[in-house]
Amino acid sequence: MRKMRDTNLMILSSDDEDDCDYKPNSHRSYTKNPKSRSFITRTNPRQPKKPRVSGSRSRFSRDSPNLFEVGFPEEDFEELFSGSKVSAGSGRSNVKELWVDKYKPHSLEELAVHKKKVEEVKSWFEERLKTTKNLQGNLINNVVVINGKAGVGKSTTIHVIASHFGARLCEWNTPTPTIWQEHVHNTNTGIQYTSKLDEFVNFIEKIRKYGLIPSSSSEDTKPSIMLLIDDLPMTNGRVAFERLQSCLLHLVRSTQLPTAILVSDYDEADSADHTARRLEQLQLSLENAGACKVSFNPITINSIKKTLSRICRQEQCSVTDEQLDLIAKGSGGDIRHAITSLQLFCVKPDLVLNGSYSTPSYSFGKEDDIDALVSGISFLFGRDETLSLFHALGKFLHNKRETEVANAITPGDAFLVQENFSRLPLKMDAPEKILCQAHGQARPVTDFLHENVLDFISDEAMDDAWHVSSYFSDSDLLLSSFRGMLARYNEAENVLQSAAASVAVRGVLFGNSHPSPPRWRAVQKPKLWQAEKSMLHNQKEIARQRFIAYNGSSSCNVSDVATEYMPVLKWLEHRASGFEDNQALVYCNKTDDESCDRMSLDDKESDISDDEIEEW
Amino acid sequence: MLWVDKYRPKTLDQVIVHQEIAENLKKLVTEQDCPHLLFYGPSGSGKKTLIMALLRQIFGTSAEKVKVENRTWKIDAGSRTIDLELTTLSSTNHVELSPSDVGFQDRYIVQEIIKEMAKNRPIDTKGKKGYKVLVLNEVDKLSREAQHSLRRTMEKYSASCRLILCCNSSSKVTEAIRSRCLNVRINAPKEEQIVKVLEFIGKKEGLQLPPGFAARIADKSNRSLRRAILSFETCRVQQYPFSSNQAIPPMDWEEYVSEICSDIMREQSPKRLFQVRGKLYELLINCIPPEIILKKLLSELLKKLDEELKHEVCHWAAYYEHRMRMGQKAIFHLEAFLAKFMSIYKAFLIATFG
Repeated sequence: MRKMRDTNLMILSSDDEDDCDYKPNSHRSYTKNPKSRSFITRTNPRQPKKPRVSGSRSRFSRDSPNLFEVGFPEEDFEELFSGSKVSAGSGRSNVKELWVDKYKPHSLEELAVHKKKVEEVKSWFEERLKTTKNLQGNLINNVVVINGKAGVGKSTTIHVIASHFGARLCEWNTPTPTIWQEHVHNTNTGIQYTSKLDEFVNFIEKIRKYGLIPSSSSEDTKPSIMLLIDDLPMTNGRVAFERLQSCLLHLVRSTQLPTAILVSDYDEADSADHTARRLEQLQLSLENAGACKVSFNPITINSIKKTLSRICRQEQCSVTDEQLDLIAKGSGGDIRHAITSLQLFCVKPDLVLNGSYSTPSYSFGKEDDIDALVSGISFLFGRDETLSLFHALGKFLHNKRETEVANAITPGDAFLVQENFSRLPLKMDAPEKILCQAHGQARPVTDFLHENVLDFISDEAMDDAWHVSSYFSDSDLLLSSFRGMLARYNEAENVLQSAAASVAVRGVLFGNSHPSPPRWRAVQKPKLWQAEKSMLHNQKEIARQRFIAYNGSSSCNVSDVATEYMPVLKWLEHRASGFEDNQALVYCNKTDDESCDRMSLDDKESDISDDEIEEW
Repeated sequence: MLWVDKYRPKTLDQVIVHQEIAENLKKLVTEQDCPHLLFYGPSGSGKKTLIMALLRQIFGTSAEKVKVENRTWKIDAGSRTIDLELTTLSSTNHVELSPSDVGFQDRYIVQEIIKEMAKNRPIDTKGKKGYKVLVLNEVDKLSREAQHSLRRTMEKYSASCRLILCCNSSSKVTEAIRSRCLNVRINAPKEEQIVKVLEFIGKKEGLQLPPGFAARIADKSNRSLRRAILSFETCRVQQYPFSSNQAIPPMDWEEYVSEICSDIMREQSPKRLFQVRGKLYELLINCIPPEIILKKLLSELLKKLDEELKHEVCHWAAYYEHRMRMGQKAIFHLEAFLAKFMSIYKAFLIATFG
């Protein structure tokens, strides 16, 4: 059933319109048989065809569609080039190939990944490859989970190690998603739609049960096989996730092939995302099941620089050391990004000439535009610097300022403000920029600040407290204006949102003119959220009880019930149950609150509530 | 059953407090052409009681046979359909609902329900097409759009249905609606009237009222009849026979508010503000409307304040009350008011006592 072709490589492509991207000599491309995959309509016209490292890797092709696929998950990269046609087009004459692929490391020495990590993974595989030869079927754990941010060389490391051992690497890459039109088209021809998760589960099941059947031709050499699962399929919803999890757990427990599962971490700032959380959960459960875990750190700036300068030497392009440094720093430990940036940098003259300075390919945020303005073109490519929300909040709350006014400001430049309105300059970037970096949403940021700011105001400074809370009031006004009415005009709402966030943040910074002495404080989760939740809950309760009035023949205002009926009824109940003293009339929703507390304990927000912010 | 409900007048003839209005209403409906009505007045003045008595006057006892229905309305709003859940009370001849329950989507509810009601008109005994009555509560909380659409539906379906609107303040109802209705202002009952009602209930229950006791309850009730009757009943449970100097148990939330007041008068600091915030949350959690909290806060503060400060504090209370209505989260504005008060009061204390 499983056929193996002894080509070095097979590239899957749907529409081979421009072949000039290929490296013509060493690789051939196959179009897969139409049954499986001819209906892909690619949205980007020039999908980069990436020649792979020649090695002992080969690709398995099966009859059922989409199961194995050699591809490289470099969507960002594709976008970069397909999105900015101008730049790619102009640069094509001198850019035959993407440097990321051209300079893919072939040996362990070339890897920019930290030596220790590589060694760890390598020895792990070495052990497995040996033992599997000797004691086939011995149940030792055969799975390594490698995690790390995007572009730290997880897949590359595995590839290099595989070629180092001369092992054959069998890969799972997430297949291209089926587009709806494609699916509609296919239903006529009788091809069933299988979800990617189904395919993945099938694949894993087969691998687990039967292993890989070696092809007859290579039987004499019998190269060892490694399984690589790059990019787990996306799961949506609890059920799908559990399925994926159990499938992987089975794999961990019973596979006989040394397997590497690669998991990309996301930035902390994005961790509010459900998928990221789930991935963490998945890793944990795999680890518990006996998988070995290796985390790759972001690549150090020095080793990125080393790699970059090696490439520069080979490409014979002159890039100054500072520029390399800038690129390396801007990449944030993502070597793939750094190399791409370098390549882009080297074709930059064309880029600028073509006026594609602001090509849409840089899907970077506002802040990057600012950066570009500030630091000129050299910052054209850099990853977004991100801050965690708590980091940003801490900056605002601690309100660090210079100790004295810089005298250099000429009187003509500065606004003349009364003394009580003037503040020392901030020891940080513009608040708006920090907000951007922290992906701060206006509402939560305001809520967080509101919850925590009073703790940071000196105990004497009542006026400051008022200033701050009046700014919050302003910000709330901005956040709520045109509520609901502007749903269609998102633009306007965005402006309002950012204005509101800005008012809140600047209000905190300005108002808190007498910050309390610095010490270690925890940033609390807004109680407001919980209060609102229980308020809604109670409101529903009351709405249900509103028919107690008027003998059930009419309804009563919620507020009347809450302010008049409920207290009296409670009071009467107290009496009835025998509480004779008047003191029983303490505020009686304590129990309610407690139950709400308990409710919110397993709430997802609660795990961030105790995050501590240290003094900077 | 609570006394408030037990001794609620069922018919317009039984009404004690607003007898004149009751007379007029009776005359109005016996002439068979009932205009749209808008009842407005403070809470606890008897609007709902009058409305129900009026319905009974029009439709007889069938108006009392109501069923509570929790319906989901599917509303086609251009590109999407909206599901709105709303509880209605209905008899064969009338429907009562509080459209403001559904928040800013209230306009759909108003249109949709009125349209549906207009579709199936009841036929009265003489074979003439009758009309249905739609009672809308809390009209002042309706959004502006909803009020506009209400106005249009009022015109369009005026043949088949009558609206009875009920709200606390007519100033929040648009001019257009007000001019299409007969406005009925229900005053808060005078203290003597409240005393009269309490004495009436006392007689029915066979209670001995010490002289001046009813007057004290009426005094405490803030001219809300409902409030007065409720506290009358709590007094009865608390201690009987009554003694004329018996303490009248206050509402728990009011006690809580005055606690907040004494808190902030005692100490003015951000830390105290933070503590008070917790108490405000608790009030809000118990669904005490923030406007009422603010009002009560102010009145409690005014009791204790020096004359000099009263004006300024009132000003800021009004300022933040306005913002609270414009804004979304009441706590921000309540807290801002408290912070302002604390800052004013602190400055005053320093100026006075050094």
